[in-house]
Amino acid sequence: MKDFGPKIPKQVLDWKASGEDAVYDRKTLYDYMDGGAEVYLAFDFREVFVRKFADAAGNEIVLDIYDLGSPAEAFGMFSCDRQDPEAGIGQGSEYGPGLLRFWRGRYFVSITVSGDEDRAEKAVLDLGKAVAPLLGPDGAPPEMIKLLPSAGLKPGKTAYFHNHVHLSNRYFVSAENILDLDERTECLFAEYGIAGGDSARLLVVRYPSPERARAAAESFRRSFLPQADADGTALTAAKKWSTVKTRENVLAAVFEAASKEYAGRLAEEAVRPPR
Amino acid sequence: MTSSMTRRDFMKGTAAVLGASAATAAFGQSGAAPAGKTRVVLVRHPEALDADSAFNEPVIQQMLDEAVSKLLDASDPVEAFKRLVKPEDVVGIKTNVWSFLPTPAPVEKAIKRRVLDAGVAEPNIGLDDHTVRTNPLFVKATALINVRPVRTHYLAGMSGCIKNYIMFAESQPDHHPDSCASLGSLFLLPQVKGKTRLNVLCALTPQFHGRGPHNFSRRYVWNYKGLIVGEDPVAVDSVGLRLIMAKRRIELGPDQEIPPVPKHIQIADTKYGIGTADPAKIELVKLGWLDDVLI
Repeated sequence: MKDFGPKIPKQVLDWKASGEDAVYDRKTLYDYMDGGAEVYLAFDFREVFVRKFADAAGNEIVLDIYDLGSPAEAFGMFSCDRQDPEAGIGQGSEYGPGLLRFWRGRYFVSITVSGDEDRAEKAVLDLGKAVAPLLGPDGAPPEMIKLLPSAGLKPGKTAYFHNHVHLSNRYFVSAENILDLDERTECLFAEYGIAGGDSARLLVVRYPSPERARAAAESFRRSFLPQADADGTALTAAKKWSTVKTRENVLAAVFEAASKEYAGRLAEEAVRPPR
Repeated sequence: MTSSMTRRDFMKGTAAVLGASAATAAFGQSGAAPAGKTRVVLVRHPEALDADSAFNEPVIQQMLDEAVSKLLDASDPVEAFKRLVKPEDVVGIKTNVWSFLPTPAPVEKAIKRRVLDAGVAEPNIGLDDHTVRTNPLFVKATALINVRPVRTHYLAGMSGCIKNYIMFAESQPDHHPDSCASLGSLFLLPQVKGKTRLNVLCALTPQFHGRGPHNFSRRYVWNYKGLIVGEDPVAVDSVGLRLIMAKRRIELGPDQEIPPVPKHIQIADTKYGIGTADPAKIELVKLGWLDDVLI
């Protein structure tokens, strides 16, 4: 990661590099993050390169380049926290006041601002544009994404992750790990909506074995859908439909579906083997 | 996995989730809350921060004084603090120095001023965060005052007064699994047990959502201008959680109302018995400014 050092600008507009560059690995990440390191360790995090920039007024910009080991993991890290408009940097990006996030290849990048966020906007975006070419080549997002039904899929809302912590941050299902998620499970969370029509949220989990998928579905029914019908579908207190289905090692859980029929169809399509 | 809190439970209301068995509270009830209830005071003041979001020290002193007096039904703040600490006490003020949202210095000063007024000698008052385990004053402390801001946390759901004691742990990562479920056990450590006299959850500028590498973005901090004060850290955090959830519902929408897995608050009650999480068993007294109070 230190190879990045000479290639990254030492100055962006009025902001100059301040202090020594730093690199943290899985053992030392806690030294950098006072809380929150587990978020990165839950992915295949390898190292992070950190460079800080400061202007004359003491405003600070912090560049973090995370090596996630693979494009799928980098996409995952990016995808779990998307809320701002696309910034056109790297393979996927977003920018909002004080925060630029993007991914390219096996790298995920965040650029944060402490201080005057408006004043720093152009410098943040310029820095991102200067860093992105250094991270190539592009990589493919998780192949599992092809499991998602395409009709009604909301763009920019799909998250890829592994464990219960990330699911809870994306969509709270349960205080307990009722779906038995861990570093060996692959998860997609997606949102669906058609104007004036069907809408739902879909969780797809790929387990290491069919046995784990079936056990997780049973656990989910018992804890989340105790009043489900024979199809494993239930009407929740919010008058929305929820269901769970499995096929081989894949589980699909649907939340807040507008109709029972749509919940079932979405889950069925998600567990169907891709053509 | 048969009795877990699910989204369905949360949507029935916080009370259904956090409501649990009555805790065997480890904290004395010096005040006059209705029988069976633990009192928590929320005090707010429109001038706690100025137009530039700078803290107003005199107003914050006034807020703390009003809150602690009401908490204990005392006639004035000095009398109230005299009930909390004795002149012979060694008092450790456990603050929080997280760089993005630390405990405001005026709140620390306001507490220390009243501890001095209660007769505790200055050399016997300490203020610390990261080194409380080895700080000689905290090692020999006979009384603790717990003060920190309220904010969301990626693992624990909410960082409040319960989580503030993680620096007393021999190993902090040991308390991270299962959404920091074991945080309540920190109040049973020998260095801590039975010593916490007051909990002040700063809601002057709460953080209702976390983003970015350090789980902080100024966009998700708002000037609520409040302090949440109580003798019971679980009850204080339970009120703090209600505030965070109310703000998230407004700003992020109903589907994002629940911060990730704030189970440690309930477990502090049901498993560790260090306080009361059930809102039905908490007497929330609101003082001062009520605009956009949310709870």
